[in-house]
Amino acid sequence: MKYSSLLLIALLFFFCSHIDSKAQSFMADDGYVEFISTAPLLEFKGKSDHLTGFIDLDENLIDFYIDLNTIDTGIQRRNRDMRSTYLNTDKFPFAEFTGKLLTSFDADNQQKQAVKTSGIFSINGVEREIEVEGTLEPQGDALKLEASWVILLEDFEIDRPRVLFYELAEEQTVNISILLKSND
Amino acid sequence: MHTRILMLLIPVILYPSLLLGQLQRERVVQDTAVELTFMAPRNINLFTVEPLSKGELHYSIMHTFGEVNSGVRTLWGVDQGANVRFSFEYGFGDNISVGFGRSSMDKVYDVNTRITLLRQRTDGSVPVSVTAAPSVGINTSSFGFLNENYSFSDRLNFSLALPIARKFNSDFSLMIVPMAVHFNRTGPELNISDPEVNTYYSIGVGGRYKFASRTALSFQYIPPLTDAENLSNNIGIGIDIETGGHVFQMFFTTSRALNESYLIASDNGNFFDREFRFGFNINRLFRIR
Repeated sequence: MKYSSLLLIALLFFFCSHIDSKAQSFMADDGYVEFISTAPLLEFKGKSDHLTGFIDLDENLIDFYIDLNTIDTGIQRRNRDMRSTYLNTDKFPFAEFTGKLLTSFDADNQQKQAVKTSGIFSINGVEREIEVEGTLEPQGDALKLEASWVILLEDFEIDRPRVLFYELAEEQTVNISILLKSND
Repeated sequence: MHTRILMLLIPVILYPSLLLGQLQRERVVQDTAVELTFMAPRNINLFTVEPLSKGELHYSIMHTFGEVNSGVRTLWGVDQGANVRFSFEYGFGDNISVGFGRSSMDKVYDVNTRITLLRQRTDGSVPVSVTAAPSVGINTSSFGFLNENYSFSDRLNFSLALPIARKFNSDFSLMIVPMAVHFNRTGPELNISDPEVNTYYSIGVGGRYKFASRTALSFQYIPPLTDAENLSNNIGIGIDIETGGHVFQMFFTTSRALNESYLIASDNGNFFDREFRFGFNINRLFRIR
């Protein structure tokens, strides 16, 4: 009897919390992400329109990921090298960020608002805690997020050519832009 | 018992967002062709299954020098001159490319194509990649010293290589390469093993093992399967280095030959008597459109 009651209470909490979180949650799977490599002799971008993201304002949860196999650098061979040699997408297909808002955000204010987040970013199977600054802007029922940050390949154990050529920069600028639609 | 159940449920009660919040990771690309079975369109000397994509131009320059057993006075064969081959190969589609090259040994120009017949798939539905690589070469040496000069047709040779490869994991790839070659005319003036034999066959084996993210050991073995004089095993071992745009391949091989026709028809040294040569290839890929 005790066991059944306990389970029922847990499920009720679980269910109620789920309903509540829907009220202020936003999601999309067609966001834009780009990785910009600026080396001395070459600058190139890897782009994708498959950024998937989720923001739950009630739970203060931000969750994004991108299937790295969708990133296109404009040259097929470079894509193949990126996937196989540098990012090991067979083993680690996603770049991910999961975190929370550090600053307050007023969903009723229709202005673009600067926000700061903190969380875990992982790529190539390596996780690092990072802080990211960006903007959130309500657009009707949707929420527009734009953010930019810099990662060092070495921090994520991504090996790059060092001896002869420097076509891949150590610093990679990551820009994201996504219009998250309300889950209501 | 109840205490254990309660402990298991506490996270669910207090932090339901842990379960509901994070998105289920789903791959957009579920099944793809296996990529980078080899680092370059050639593994030492053998054609590989590594295709060019549409609009890609591959340039390579290949060298083999004299035998290393000639010692330090020739810098282990380097002073003895090199057989040099340069080639361009352009991807007209993702599965077809056409190449042009010239080898200094017998001054042979060749035109070749590589057609991808099968691509190994990541989901295992296709276990190997298969490429057909026919080529035709023309010997442009001067044969004026012969009583009967070479006609245009006499100068032609034809080859077909059929690399069949499998990438077993991210580090290890292996291929077998059935090959056939026909020379319209042969003679002692050509750099081939047996001037009496026009047609040669072999089944080459090549492979590579990545021991670092951009560095691999490579090998080739091309046994003689033709009943011809002076024909012996072609053995090569090397190292591939990918530098972000270029692939350098340095190797020791028993043959001077650098193109398909001469690879299975020309002389080979005995690898275990140090009758092998240093060689290297430089591969560079450009995007034209």
